[in-house]
Amino acid sequence: MSATAPTAGTPALEIHGLEAGYGKIQVLWGIDLTVEAGSFVTVIGANGTGKTTLLRAVSGLVRGVHGSIRAFGQDLHGHSPARIVRAGIGHVPEGRQLFPLMTVAENLASGADYLPGAAREITRSRATVFELFPRLAERQLQLAGTLSGGEQQMLAIGRALMSRPRLLLVDEPSLGLAPSLTKAVFRALAEINRAGVTVVLVEQNVQRSLALADRAFVLENGRIVKQGRGSELLDDPAVREAYLSL
Amino acid sequence: MRRALPDVLWTLALAIVAALAPTLLKAGFDQASVSYLSLASNAMSLGILALSWDLLARTGQLSLAHAAFYGAGAYAAAVLANATGVPIVLALPLGGLVAGLLALGLGSVTLRLKGIYFAIATLAFTEVLKAVVQELPTGLAGGAAGLNVPPLFRPHFVPGQMQRWEIAFQRNEAYFYVYAALLVLTIAVSIVVQRTRLRAAFTAVRTNEAVAAVMGVRPARAKLLAFVLSSALVGMLGALEAMRLGSVIPDGTFAISTTVFALVTPIFGGLYTTLGPILGAGVLSAVEETLKRTFAEGYLIGYGVVLVASILFMPRGLVGLATRLRRRRGGSGTPAAGDAEGPA
Repeated sequence: MSATAPTAGTPALEIHGLEAGYGKIQVLWGIDLTVEAGSFVTVIGANGTGKTTLLRAVSGLVRGVHGSIRAFGQDLHGHSPARIVRAGIGHVPEGRQLFPLMTVAENLASGADYLPGAAREITRSRATVFELFPRLAERQLQLAGTLSGGEQQMLAIGRALMSRPRLLLVDEPSLGLAPSLTKAVFRALAEINRAGVTVVLVEQNVQRSLALADRAFVLENGRIVKQGRGSELLDDPAVREAYLSL
Repeated sequence: MRRALPDVLWTLALAIVAALAPTLLKAGFDQASVSYLSLASNAMSLGILALSWDLLARTGQLSLAHAAFYGAGAYAAAVLANATGVPIVLALPLGGLVAGLLALGLGSVTLRLKGIYFAIATLAFTEVLKAVVQELPTGLAGGAAGLNVPPLFRPHFVPGQMQRWEIAFQRNEAYFYVYAALLVLTIAVSIVVQRTRLRAAFTAVRTNEAVAAVMGVRPARAKLLAFVLSSALVGMLGALEAMRLGSVIPDGTFAISTTVFALVTPIFGGLYTTLGPILGAGVLSAVEETLKRTFAEGYLIGYGVVLVASILFMPRGLVGLATRLRRRRGGSGTPAAGDAEGPA
């Protein structure tokens, strides 16, 4: 899929009228959402509002999606996940989903091995990941299953980075992590974003994730009910009441 | 290929042992070596059966069709030998080819089935294939009575220089080498799968297809590849066994017990590993033989007790038990978090 070089100002992600679900259960009801290239976007919402489904729809993991999804000007609708990841879209799945009986190095390699472009750059990508997460470098030969929760999340993000994505979708990285580790993971995401990767983060940890966001969306019952700059939403009384219990 | 050297060394060591075994057995046991060679071939046959089944299981496809592909290979050999005049040695690759092609067909339609649904579909396939073979023109496949298969080797007896039992030895020795070669091939395929990117692809397809997909793996292709590899290997085994046993017959060649042994052995030895199914085949063969010699009748009861006990006390098989013991002694005490790669 050789895309024409995106002209300046082409959004990293443009979603219009997206409807998706599983079988007869509809989860998303007409999502419109634009993510500027290079920005950091956060989508917040309670459990079961469709945050994960939104990311899965972009990655091609949900079938029978209606509406349009374009990334860097390229139509993704109906493409297989394998093609979508080749178009530069990385996905860090909820719950990490590592290979516990393989080493850190092998887990990282698995993120690039099936992508011809990324496979050629494997050494360089690994160096980038180790720079970002020095603890992974120390534990290269350790089995992923023996890592701590925070290290596992770092590895999951690292594996997605191995595909050299231009757009990184991250699903609930703070799940099950202690606050200090959550902070470290979010700091890493901010660093990845500064290096030029557009980040779409889906989170229940509203405080920290909104603080990072250039732009944020609030998802309720499969619809976007509010959007704005991260700091704006963080000051919004309704958001504060619903998600921060303040 | 990562960390390939130890594997290559182990395989080489095994190959050398196998190469010397018949000569050493003959020197040490004279006449008794004939049956030892035959037992060794049976154990290797079980190893090939188990390891080829495990290859497919690594993608989460728990097949009950292993007997079908074993039988397909055996019948391919039998029909080739009876209907054409080509050298019988071609039956081996042909058995693999026929079984591989059948797997491509069956695999394409079962791709979206999971777990128990996949298992049932493959079980039905075995019965259907058996019925089809039975209904083929008798002149071609022999119907319910089956077919004779010519042997792969014809020992030549030199009167005066050889004793009678040495004919059987010659024959068993020749088969022993072919079984060893097929076992080495199966191990090599397994090692390649475990040491290349295929391991992550197969594991991801088994544990979470979404992860496989976002890695860029095409799950359908990975599943089909495993199905074809696994079936081609067991198809070759079927062809080889048909030649060693001398005949094929629908009820025996497509027997469900072949499938049962194919899945019990890796579970006993340790699923999703190269060593597990091989170790399982060796130990189970030895247990079976010992029980047979101890209680001529009803040895299967003892065999059953061993299997039930092993599932209860070592759910991850011999390999899992060894890992646990090593960890305890090493004192690192960090069990692998998550059991995503444990027996499904």
